[in-house]
Amino acid sequence: MSSDTPPPVPLADPTLRRVLVFFTLILGVLIGIVVVSLRNLNRSIATSDWVNHTHALISELDALRPNLAAAEGELVRYLHTGDQRDHAAYQEKFADLGESVAVINALIAGAPDEKEQFAPIAALLARRAGLATQAVQLKKAGDTAGLQKLQDTEAEGGDLPELARRLEKLREKQTDLLSARDRASFVQAQVTRWTVLAGVGFDFLLLCGAAWLIRDDLAARRQAARLLAQTNSELEEKVRQRTAEISAMNAQLVAQNLEERWAKQAIEHQNRYNLLIIDSITDAVFVVTKLMNISRMNPAAVHLTGYEPVDLVDKPLAKVAQLADADALRRTFDVLARTLVDGHEMRSQAAVVTMKNGDRVAVQLNVFPLRDRDKVVGGVVILKSSAPSSS
Amino acid sequence: MSHSTRPPFAPDSLSVAPKPSGRHILAIDDETSILELLTEYLKAHGYRVSTATNAAEAKHVVESQAPDLIISDLQLEDTDGLQLVGQLRVLLPATPVILLTGVLFDPLVIENNLKWKISAYVSKTAPLQTLVAEIKRLIG
Repeated sequence: MSSDTPPPVPLADPTLRRVLVFFTLILGVLIGIVVVSLRNLNRSIATSDWVNHTHALISELDALRPNLAAAEGELVRYLHTGDQRDHAAYQEKFADLGESVAVINALIAGAPDEKEQFAPIAALLARRAGLATQAVQLKKAGDTAGLQKLQDTEAEGGDLPELARRLEKLREKQTDLLSARDRASFVQAQVTRWTVLAGVGFDFLLLCGAAWLIRDDLAARRQAARLLAQTNSELEEKVRQRTAEISAMNAQLVAQNLEERWAKQAIEHQNRYNLLIIDSITDAVFVVTKLMNISRMNPAAVHLTGYEPVDLVDKPLAKVAQLADADALRRTFDVLARTLVDGHEMRSQAAVVTMKNGDRVAVQLNVFPLRDRDKVVGGVVILKSSAPSSS
Repeated sequence: MSHSTRPPFAPDSLSVAPKPSGRHILAIDDETSILELLTEYLKAHGYRVSTATNAAEAKHVVESQAPDLIISDLQLEDTDGLQLVGQLRVLLPATPVILLTGVLFDPLVIENNLKWKISAYVSKTAPLQTLVAEIKRLIG
């Protein structure tokens, strides 16, 4: 993954808190709607009860005047006929009228204003009932003059117009109240409707907001998951590459180590092999430095000279080998030394070996320069035994 | 005898080396240290290796499980390597042989004297890569 890749988006807590706030608001609005709706429902029920009650009152008020007219009609008929059946009808009608008054009183029992308005009406009705009773008594007593006088008095006008005016006034008031209640009920219904609609609309908006938040959060989570997966994939690829590199390096190191062990073993083997070859040579072989000091000798040299390596190593070759011609000795070894300087070979020079026990042995002396690359670092002196010389 | 049953000493890390070809190689040398090194290196290059330190062991391996290639030292404890190679070639005439020795041969000598017995000559002083290159050239 490149270094400029944005860091993973922090998740969960802020989004969760916001969503919880949204749902709390939604719940609050729903509770508000329910409370308002229940309250308005109760108001509607109460209004409905009141309207029914008022309609009943109006109905009873409307029935008063016809009932009174019917009762007084039955009264007039009885007064004319004197028939007991008409008397019974008259009583029944007035009883109905009294029942209507009782019903109205019951309907307005809790309404002081109506009671106050209805009281004069009831009084007028009572007065009309009293007049009827008075007329019936006069009829029964046969007082025709008194009855005629009573009828004449009422025929001049009486209190019927007043009764009609008061009833109409009370009825108008009830009708006005009904209209007012109707308007109030309509307003209340509208308020309820708009409250519910506004609440539902607001809740819908809140739900949309919560959904948007959740969608946004899910998108962020998906992006974070993608980034994480990508990072993991890249990391795994890097680990795979690094593991492969390390494995390759390790294999290379192991191979290199094997090669080195093989080379070391080959050198040791070769060295041992060469030493065996040298040690198996029957001619005396001395390895000398450029100053003609002995650094190594083979078993044949030990056999020829009688000296052990500890006796001769770092000693001059001249201690054991001299040229046969005494005069040539100095010259030859000068030549020999020069040979090692120049790097030339010298072969088959007659020489004498002085053994450890003092015996002298005639040999042929050969010198070969020992080279390390292009430099002469010493020489190999080979003494080949020939005829023994006198001691 | 010590052929493929020799205890493994190749490290696991060598398993990342080239895929095994499964070819069977018989290595003959009287020095076990040489054989161990050869086995480790050749196994790392995917070869199956049997080893023998003398002629008897070598013949047993050849008879029990014929190798695809033979690597032999010149100087063995009980016989001459070239002589042993000659005997094995009777049994396996088509099997290539590499002479792996510390004795330094003149290429002319190889061409004139040993060509009929051996397929290649590799000095022990040469890197192991050289040996593997010869093996790949001969058997893949």
